[in-house]
Amino acid sequence: MMPGFGMQPQIILLKEGTDTSQGTPQLLSNINACMAVADAVRTTLGPRGMDKLIHNSQGKVTISNDGATIMKLLEIVHPAAKSLVDVSLSQDAEVGDGTTSVVILSGELLKEAKPFIEEGAHPRNIIKAYRMASTLAVSKIKELSISLGGTVEEKKDLLKKCAMTTLNSKLVSGEKEFFAQMVVDAVSKLDPVTLDLKLIGIKKVQGGGLRDSFLVDGVAFKKTFSYAGFEQQPKSFDHPKVLLLNMELEIKSERENAEIRLEDPAQYQSIVDAEWNIIYEKLAKCVESGAQIVLSRLAIGDLATQYFADRNIFCAGRVEVNDLERVAKATGARVQTTVNGLSAESAKSFLGTCARFEERQVGAERYNLLTGCPNARTATIVLRGGSEQFIDEADRSLHDAIMIVRRALKHSEVVAGGGAIEMEVSKALREHSLTHTSKAQLFIKAFAKALEVIPRQLCNNAGFDATDVLSKLRQKHGQTDGTGRNFGVDVNTGGVVDTYNAFVWEPSLVKLNAIASATEAACLILSVDETVRNPKSENPDGQGMPAGGRGRGRGMGRGRGMRR
Amino acid sequence: MSLVYDEYGRPFIIIKEQEKKSRIKGIEAVKASILAAKTVARTCRSSLGPKGMDKMLQSPDGDVTITNDGATILEMMEVENQIGKLLVELSKSQDHEIGDGTTGVVVLAGALLEHAEALLDMGIHPLRVAEGYEMACKVATDNLEKIKSTFEFSKDDIEPLIKTCMTTLSSKIVGRLKRHMAEICVKAVVAVADLDRRDVNLDLIKVEGKVGGTMEDTRLVEGIVIDKDFSHPQMPKELKDVKLAILTCPFEPPKPKTKHKVEIDTVEKFEELRKQEQKYFTDMVQLCKDSGAGLIICQWGFDDEANHLLMHEGLPAVRWVGGVEIELLAMATGGRIVPRFSELTPEKLGFAKSVTEISFGTTKDKMLVIEGCPNLKAVTIFVRGGNKMVLDEIKRSLHDAICVARNLVRDNSIIYGGGASEISCSLAVEAAAHEVVGDVQYAMRAFADALEAVPLALAENSGLPPIESLTAVRKRQMEENNPYLGIDCNDIGTNDMREQNVFETFLSKRQQLFLATQVCKMILKIDDVIKPSEYE
Repeated sequence: MMPGFGMQPQIILLKEGTDTSQGTPQLLSNINACMAVADAVRTTLGPRGMDKLIHNSQGKVTISNDGATIMKLLEIVHPAAKSLVDVSLSQDAEVGDGTTSVVILSGELLKEAKPFIEEGAHPRNIIKAYRMASTLAVSKIKELSISLGGTVEEKKDLLKKCAMTTLNSKLVSGEKEFFAQMVVDAVSKLDPVTLDLKLIGIKKVQGGGLRDSFLVDGVAFKKTFSYAGFEQQPKSFDHPKVLLLNMELEIKSERENAEIRLEDPAQYQSIVDAEWNIIYEKLAKCVESGAQIVLSRLAIGDLATQYFADRNIFCAGRVEVNDLERVAKATGARVQTTVNGLSAESAKSFLGTCARFEERQVGAERYNLLTGCPNARTATIVLRGGSEQFIDEADRSLHDAIMIVRRALKHSEVVAGGGAIEMEVSKALREHSLTHTSKAQLFIKAFAKALEVIPRQLCNNAGFDATDVLSKLRQKHGQTDGTGRNFGVDVNTGGVVDTYNAFVWEPSLVKLNAIASATEAACLILSVDETVRNPKSENPDGQGMPAGGRGRGRGMGRGRGMRR
Repeated sequence: MSLVYDEYGRPFIIIKEQEKKSRIKGIEAVKASILAAKTVARTCRSSLGPKGMDKMLQSPDGDVTITNDGATILEMMEVENQIGKLLVELSKSQDHEIGDGTTGVVVLAGALLEHAEALLDMGIHPLRVAEGYEMACKVATDNLEKIKSTFEFSKDDIEPLIKTCMTTLSSKIVGRLKRHMAEICVKAVVAVADLDRRDVNLDLIKVEGKVGGTMEDTRLVEGIVIDKDFSHPQMPKELKDVKLAILTCPFEPPKPKTKHKVEIDTVEKFEELRKQEQKYFTDMVQLCKDSGAGLIICQWGFDDEANHLLMHEGLPAVRWVGGVEIELLAMATGGRIVPRFSELTPEKLGFAKSVTEISFGTTKDKMLVIEGCPNLKAVTIFVRGGNKMVLDEIKRSLHDAICVARNLVRDNSIIYGGGASEISCSLAVEAAAHEVVGDVQYAMRAFADALEAVPLALAENSGLPPIESLTAVRKRQMEENNPYLGIDCNDIGTNDMREQNVFETFLSKRQQLFLATQVCKMILKIDDVIKPSEYE
């Protein structure tokens, strides 16, 4: 690489072992890597998509159909392919759904670009054309999207359809209607302005069928660790007053490092009494406030438990922060960090309430449920299912659906799913390309072709002849009167169907974001013509890696490898 | 994972430690999963039914467990394969939710997958199979709804509950004494049940066991059994109509939680301190005495000095009683847990009709039985058995039976056992299948066939000719339109399960169908398995 001039010493610029590849071969190699990654998630697309079982080196197993989850778990190290992971993750964060489509789409865009690169087209030209096409596609989608108007009730129904489309491809598809309803109900409970996701709690309880999952209009949390005396407390209330604390109710030393010196043994009892008085005072304050339920983020000791039991008050210590926050939101109670200042007069300002509190058996666990809250800006979904992985996947699926509904509530525009929108945009781009006289014509056409990957993959996954279906679709979309523009793949029969009328809807935002970010990722990869890779990053297990905090985990792996 | 090469023959690494990972894709992955699941299911198959056999499992540290409870077997087997683990979890979740039918659900899931394999070979898309199964599952559960019967029971009339529990127990080691055991379980559940809310807190039923004696000696204590004895050997062994003080403070001078030091510089002060300490002891005992308590239950210990004083004052006491027992005792006797002596008042005392210390045979083990409590909200089942393994298995069996009784309290619908419900569902699914066009029909028919795995296994395990007995019952069910006909496992001479009194809870059966179908779908949906290759 660095031919020496005669006797002149060789100039070493980079550390030994550094891999620098550049130019077209490097670009092609990057494209290949991306295509390989896209291939890995290809089969998960659509209602007939399959799942992946990924087993990491710690022995944790995930079964998932969610593109972003799979990409994250694949532990991709290839620098170019990593950008696909990022696209998928950003789609997940931004929209929450369509994470698989975005990876497939960028993979396909690169695949279409590959022959041009091989033939010597300058990547910059392709990038420019792709960007243009992407802008066009986005405006076309905006044009085609249908706004969901109507009253709140009508809108709910429409939102349900969107949620159902998302759930279609997931493991829970058998119960999609049930869950879609649940998700819509849960989201509509939220504050319409912020739609804070944190306020929808998802609790997983192993056991039971999917159908046993239920939505709590309020808060549910697992029974916390309890001390003796807990069972003597009342377990159900109507319209209870709720006191939330963030302090310990336990007999303990006031200061860790304090020491008391006694001169006179007679004073001994007074110290003991003083300590007891401190805790009793605190407890008395809680009782005085008129609260019937006391929840604390920190421990509530056995003494306090028994004290409350004597006074018919329910208490639970070590409640998780999220749960406590949600209880606060739901009941209108304020979390107190001290009991000083609690009194019956000011009780209104910090006590919350709800219609009903009860402890109930869910599967093998006991759950505390607070329902019918006055300012119920929160909801809890209790998920049931046969195994841990199953519930985890159901959780991920519901998360997607919740995100979609949330998004659709804000931007209530939908497009026809099942590949219909991609076909229509593709057609529009094809037509547009003919207005160009430059090379861009070809590249925009390539972009249009790449879009068709979505319906094609839908067919492939369902085991239908993709070419057949695509031709049918192109014919429909080619009709000049525009009647065919909502036609997409019918995965049940292997034919085509008006997906808008079949209620396969997706929020337009998903598509907008997917196309924009897939193009960005593709352009990013196309614009790279040289990779400089440190030897370390290429081969993390290689020799001579400096021992350090980072190396410890991998060091183990190496040790295992050597023994074999 | 295989390496990827670019056009120039250079390999490129996409995934971290790529060379150490193995990957199976596509239909192979599905088949491998099915094979794994089938193997696990096969292990459980022979444990099904009243004539099912037990398994002996030895843990790495040499503990031996003998059981025929599906969930326990699978858990102890320590299945490594991930798909196998799914089945283990399946059985576990049936255990958590229902507590019974853990073997049946695994057998069913295994059969479903076995039949799915044939369909995959025919070239049907795995998800179509799963969809067909889901549809069939719906038909089957609808059919269950149709054939279920409800029965009424009350606190006084518990006969129907007992009969259902007997079905559960008949497959267990206690089958010989199923009537006796079932009565115990049902009484225990009814005692703690909240019949209005249809809620049963199983924490309130304690199952205690002691090796020795015979199974017949197992009994229900309407109160609490604690594995402790009186603190002083000379204390009376039996107390009648006694008031209990339940204390969570030790019999010793109180200590402040804050670090402290008492500085003694003169002899007088030392004397004073000693006196004060002694005074604490006498005061404490006196306070107990004054409150009118006849028995002291203490969560903590007390030293010989206190023990002697208590003995002297004629106050029997028990020390080191665990928190859970304390709580149950408080609930049962209606007493309050008292955190310090100064708070001890007569109202806070609990009451029990009798407290007896029992000893077993020649061993030194002693236990306290506290009976005749006013508030029957906590009960104990006291199990006896020849050896530890038997004892553990009895406990597990009783747990199953208790769960069954609880489920009945929750939902009093039952269906008939002995494979009757499966055969009926199978017929219903098959009939429904004929109305569907497409590959789903095949899947539904496979589901119907798979449902027959349970009666088949039942017949096989009972030593009956499986195919003949199954087909005979099927034919009769068809002809007589009688969904109560099942396999006659006990050789009583009738196939009518109503006459045999073989019941199962509706909830349990429905749950089995749901769970098995779900897991099947999950397994069928996986087409790509990526794992570290050294795992194999």
